[in-house]
Amino acid sequence: MNPLLSVRHLRTSFETNGSIARAVDGVSFDLFPGETLGLVGESGCGKTVTALSILRLVSGPTGHIVKDSVIEYQGTDLLRLPPRELRRIRGAEIAMIFQEPTTSLNPVLTVGTQIAETLRAHTKMDRKGARRRAIELLELVGIPDPESRVDDYPHQLSGGMQQRVMIAMALSCDPKILIADEPTTALDVTIQAQILALLAKLKRRLGMAMILITHDLGIVAGLADRIAVMYGGQIVEQAPTDILFQHPQHPYTEALLKAVPRIDRPTTRLAAIPGMVPRATKWPTGCRFHPRCQHVWERCRVRMPDLLTWSPEQHSRCWLVEEPERRQE
Amino acid sequence: MTEALRRFLAQRRARLGLALVGVLCVMALAAPWLTSHDPTAQLDLVHGRLLPPSAAHPFGTDDLSRDLFSRVLYGARISLTIAVFSVLVSVGIGTAVGLMAGLAGGVVDTLLMRSVDAALAIPRVFLLLVVLALWENVGVAGLIAILGLTSWLDASRIVRAEVLSLKARAFMAAARALGFGSHRLALRHLLPNVAAPVIVAATLGIGQIVLVEAGLSYLGIGVPPPTPSWGSIIADGQRQLAAAPWMATIPGVAIAVTVVGFSLLGDGLRDALDPRTR
Repeated sequence: MNPLLSVRHLRTSFETNGSIARAVDGVSFDLFPGETLGLVGESGCGKTVTALSILRLVSGPTGHIVKDSVIEYQGTDLLRLPPRELRRIRGAEIAMIFQEPTTSLNPVLTVGTQIAETLRAHTKMDRKGARRRAIELLELVGIPDPESRVDDYPHQLSGGMQQRVMIAMALSCDPKILIADEPTTALDVTIQAQILALLAKLKRRLGMAMILITHDLGIVAGLADRIAVMYGGQIVEQAPTDILFQHPQHPYTEALLKAVPRIDRPTTRLAAIPGMVPRATKWPTGCRFHPRCQHVWERCRVRMPDLLTWSPEQHSRCWLVEEPERRQE
Repeated sequence: MTEALRRFLAQRRARLGLALVGVLCVMALAAPWLTSHDPTAQLDLVHGRLLPPSAAHPFGTDDLSRDLFSRVLYGARISLTIAVFSVLVSVGIGTAVGLMAGLAGGVVDTLLMRSVDAALAIPRVFLLLVVLALWENVGVAGLIAILGLTSWLDASRIVRAEVLSLKARAFMAAARALGFGSHRLALRHLLPNVAAPVIVAATLGIGQIVLVEAGLSYLGIGVPPPTPSWGSIIADGQRQLAAAPWMATIPGVAIAVTVVGFSLLGDGLRDALDPRTR
């Protein structure tokens, strides 16, 4: 099967007072039709910048995508697309929902207008048709009484409802890929579960592919088919969800999993990962995780490993793949 | 919108402003029904000059025996028409320039905004004096054009500042992610967001323009006589200050009421519409 989206050597840098932050530094992955890929990592590891880069939203005076990066969607390189063509992809083929629904909606337009605007930007729908479709979409994302809610302003809705509206906007043109950037982080736990269930249901029903970005392994566990763990602007481990959870290869993945509280194990102290996420302006030499790694040896300090193949399905950016005997229990 | 209206009406000063502006608008619109005198007719040059206020002439008559009440009413018409239309011109230009500068950024922004700074360095009254000295018998339309074209600078700066802060907001990134082009972004997403400060600036601007127009007419380079204008009535009345003090005072009060009215209205709108004061 051909991948729907293929990202190769993606590098995105930001220039901040003289120093260059290599926020995303050589990320490659594939997304297949209908698949959900979880992109997991701590804050500052480059998840969001990866997502924004896919839609080329990092433009601006400070940020840019380095030249030899490739983002191929159904055979066309999005990074070489003229702006007009790119706008046809954004929203219609690849849609994105953001972390903060409250600030992602335009405060002075009704939610119906905002959904209708998206439709009218991409289809030849007239005002009436777009409004009708907006009501259908609000119903699809589980907003009660959509016929009256369609005329509400964002501030009249709760955070959960606002995120549902964002999802409705993102889905309005039947995108093939939905990028969800921390879709539930700003919501409280009960609403979080509802939104995740909604995303799972809609994904099954509409058959789209999804990139789910989160720092919370618990969220991807139930939703993602495959997981890519990011650290220091790179993917450090990639594997199908159950394999990753059962046999993590990269010490960082291992540490992340240990930091998740479990109700099926006896109560122990939660393992925190020592140290801090390194700064994107000054990545450590060698393996970027080595200052925080418990297995570290000389090789790790000097040479950065590639994403090495552990099994056909599982890849890990760690020298332990080549020298497994070095693993300390 | 209803919420903003409620917030607006909850302020006593805003209600006062609305009432003053309302009375002025009624005076201007209903002038022909409020008085039977022609504002330019010289009624009786022998016995009817400089009559004090009476039942027949509530504000008295001027030195050419014209009914002052009708002159003030029709003067309101002229002054408000000029003010409203020149503010529309200035706000239109200012919003367009501000949107362009704020959205485009870079060289376009620098070029537009430095031009605005340069233009702001020229005193407006001085500029108006020069233009009007060269342009004789300017007429109402000409005055609207000149006043409109010289007063959009502030509006453009307000709009640009607003656009710059809106550009950094998450919903603009979200809108771009949904594939909106820059036209749609500017007109459908940004414009409604800058409406509130623009409306406030426009309301306050009307009061200012009434004042400037009165000043120009007072100097005799505004609305050409015999068309009544508050400024020119004051100028005529000044010469008769000892004989008929009401002649200069009454249009002066009208100007003061107008400026105060629009200021209160504008402040009230600002408090009602500005999300930061919510």
